[in-house]
Parts: sequence; C-alpha cells; structure tokens
Amino acid sequence: MGVTPIRPGQLAGVSLGRRAATPIIEIEHVSQVFKTSSRRDHTALSDISLTVGEGAFVSILGPSGCGKSTLLYIVGGFVSPTSGTAKMKGKPITGPGPDRGPVFQEFALFPWKSVLGNVMYGPLQQGMKPAKAEALARTLLAMVGLTGFEKFYPKELSGGMKQRVALARTLAYGPEVLLMDEPFGALDAHTRTRLQNDLLEIWERDRKTVLFVTHSVEEAVFLSDKVVMMSRSPGRIREVIDIDLPRPRRREELLLDPNYQRYIVEIERMFDASGDNELPS
Amino acid sequence: MNGLLKPLAPVLACCGLLLAWQLASLGLKNDSFPTALESLRAIPPILTDKESLINILASLRRMAIGFGLALAFSIPLGLLMGRSRATAAFFNPLLMLIYPVPKAALMPIIMLWLGVGDISKTLVIFLGVSLPVIYHSFEGAKAVEEKMLWSGAAMGLSPGERLLRIVLPAALPEILTGCRTGLVLALITMVTSEMIARQSGAGNILFNALDMGQYDTVFAMIIIVGAMGICLDAAFEIVRRWLVRWSEPQFDMPLSFS
Repeated sequence: MGVTPIRPGQLAGVSLGRRAATPIIEIEHVSQVFKTSSRRDHTALSDISLTVGEGAFVSILGPSGCGKSTLLYIVGGFVSPTSGTAKMKGKPITGPGPDRGPVFQEFALFPWKSVLGNVMYGPLQQGMKPAKAEALARTLLAMVGLTGFEKFYPKELSGGMKQRVALARTLAYGPEVLLMDEPFGALDAHTRTRLQNDLLEIWERDRKTVLFVTHSVEEAVFLSDKVVMMSRSPGRIREVIDIDLPRPRRREELLLDPNYQRYIVEIERMFDASGDNELPS
Repeated sequence: MNGLLKPLAPVLACCGLLLAWQLASLGLKNDSFPTALESLRAIPPILTDKESLINILASLRRMAIGFGLALAFSIPLGLLMGRSRATAAFFNPLLMLIYPVPKAALMPIIMLWLGVGDISKTLVIFLGVSLPVIYHSFEGAKAVEEKMLWSGAAMGLSPGERLLRIVLPAALPEILTGCRTGLVLALITMVTSEMIARQSGAGNILFNALDMGQYDTVFAMIIIVGAMGICLDAAFEIVRRWLVRWSEPQFDMPLSFS
C-alpha cells in the first residue's frame, strides 16, 4: 500500500465502517445540554450525526471536555440525549442492554467477586448454566492472559490486570458492540502499550464493532479503521479520517511506517490549527 | 510496638486500670467506692445465681431482637435513601429531628403507651440502633461507583436487582461500620431502658443493688456489662472482617470498641 493522502470526511452525517458494511450504530442529530448551577446551560454535544458500520474499529478522539465520553454513554443507553436519537441496529436506544458492552477507565469491577466471579456475572445473569459460564470465563481469562488469577479479588490486581478482567467480563456476555471509554487512560505507558497490542490481537480475531474513546492520537491511529475528531465548546465532529493501514498491525512495523507517522503528524497539526488550547497527547 | 507486646497491650491496659482503681479506692476509703478486688469477688455469685442469669439472658434476648429488627429496617431504608433523591429528601429531615434526642428520654412516653414490658424496651433499642445504621447505609449507597451500576445495567440487571446485588454488597463495608456502632448503642440503650423500666434484666440487677447500697454488686455488674460489650464487639469484628475480606484495607481502630 502506497502513501495515501488523508481524506477528511464531512462535518456531519458521515458513514463509517468497513466498505459497504451494514450500519450497526446510527447517531442522528444528537445534542446534549447540561444544566449548570449558574443557570448558563453547557452544551456538551451539538448536533452529532454519525453512523458506525458493523465490525469497524472507530475511535472518538478529542480534547477533554469535548463530550466524547458523553457520546459513548448515549450509545450505551446510560445517558439520554437532550435531543436527537441514537439507534442500535435500527432500533432507538432507550437504555442499557447486553448488546452494548462498556469498558470503563475506572474498571468498575465488582470488588466483592473474585476474578472468575466477575467474568461469570454477565453469563449467569443471562441464564447460562454455572458450569458452562465458568468454562467460558476461564477461556476468556486465558485469552486476556490471566490464567492462574481466577481466585484473586480485584484489590489484589494491578491496574492493567484489572482492565484485562473488565474486558473479559464484558466480552463474556457477548455484546455486539464494545464501548470503550478511555480504557487505558489510567495505566502507565508500558502497560498501556501492552494492552493496546493485546486488544488489537483479540479484535483482529473476531472483529467486533468497537467504539473507542481516547485523547491519544497515537492510540487512535494505531487501533482504528476510522478516527472521529471532535472539538469542544460545543462538542462537535470536526473531521473523520480513514486510517488506511494494513492489518494485522504490528507496533514495531507501524512505528517505521511513514504512513503511520504521517497520520499522527497530520492529526496533531489539525488539533494545533483548531485552537483547542488543550492538545490531545 | 514489637510483636510480643502488641497482643498483650489490651491485657496490660486492663490490669493497669484495675490497679489504679484498687489504689484509688484504698486511698479514698469511701463506702460507695469498693475496691477492684471486692468488685471482682462479687462477680461469681452473680454469674452462678439462676435469677441473675435469667435476667441477663432476658436483656441479651431483647438486645438481639431490637438489633436484628433495626438492621432489617434500617439497611434497606438507608440504601434506598442513598440511591433515590426523593427518598432521601423525605426521610432526612425526619431523621435529623430524631437524631439528637436521647432515645432513653423517649422511654417514659413509650412506657405510657406500650407498658413496661419487652415491647417498650425492644423499641428503645431499635430506635437507638437504627440511626447509625441508616446513616452509614445511606453514605455507603451514595458512594457506590456509577460505572459499577452501569456495568450491571448493561448485563441486564433491573433497578431492583442492582440495589440488591450491586449497591448492597458494594456498600457492605460502610454498612457494617454502622452496625458496629449500632451494636454498642444497643447495649447502652438496653441498660438505660432497664434503668427506667425496672422489671427484669442486667440493668435491673444493677440499679436494685444501687438502691440497696450493695456497691460491690453495682461495680461487678458494670464490669459484666463492659465485658459483654467487649465480647460482642470482638465477635462482630470477626464476622465483619470475614464478610468484607475482599475490600480495600481501611484504617483499623486501635481499640475495637469505640
């Protein structure tokens, strides 16, 4: 693949995902306004329209306070938009559901449950037989590299291990879309890199749709098919960029790839030009 | 503190207290202040007397019932208040009104309505235990991480299931802190209720002895009630630690009874 120029999408109403893929998430004219104590309303999201195709890895990239997490919570059904609708497979989203699995920066594991208990929780809730749920949980824990830690409580794990458990716990109940809210944001640089590699490896195997919120340009380019750039005050989609890099991606190859470097430089330049004083790093 | 001294510290403290008591009593030579040895000698007759044992067991039974009912009522209420603003807005002013009132001060009115029997005393214990348990359950439920509840919602847990299966266990360490305070208050209200409504119980023995000038029995009963407090608290602490063995370590109180 030669050096491809970056093709900025339109400001709104862009279609994302693998070529001609069926849309799985449709966000239509979504706005979110928060009432503040000073009576001056804060517009977190302003008229966002976005379509995500099935099986796509889409990153939402933006400075803090641009509403990127709020957008993810709306898709998750945890937050209702002030106006507009979000749809999952054509049906309006009215609340959370097991078809959309969140992974949070704060891990949000159940501390009173063991690692195994956490991963089994969703399948058991869905009525799976305990023996089957346990087998599934063990398989997933092996996949995220945590064999041998089944009996541990979350408090006994490092941050990176907790996030691995959280990912396994969410994958366990088989969501069609993974909603990842700055999942590696609380981890040190080394752990972060390893988890990115592992996530990519897992994703490249079964190609679940992923909506991934981050403020790291490198992380977005490394993982995604598409990067949705947001700006803040009010939160809007600025640009949508196709990341046309070959898969499976290997970090050591990408780091030497001029295309990869170009994407990063270009996206950082766009943020510079936008005048958002807080640069994504 | 070195390893050998640490477990011995409470024993040494008790011995020191008894020694100070003994010396003070010998120095003061007051009839109403028996020495530590005299008081300790008065304990075995109480504990071997059938009548006294029935009294003490009746006290403990009332305390257990009052404590149990208070937990069954207060934990759900506190959790609901912690998760629902409307519930909290309704109950908070009521609780603030009841909070500073000494529960034993309500005893005469309660006696007027319900008599001097078990119901009145159990009700006073119930009131004494409820408030700290409600308060700590409320605080515990309020502090539950939103994202944990969202994770549960995504797995398909209904609001009721989330309260029972996420808020309750997540708030458990805080709830149990409230229960521990409640347990000590149960003991206090138990004795005071028997002081006001004399009929049976450990408090009854104590105040009858006081009326009759049997000061060694009075102090012996104080020691017995105190020892009951320490034992109950220590037993509760063992249960508590086991129940929240998964939780992040919090600071430990140097004295288990507070």
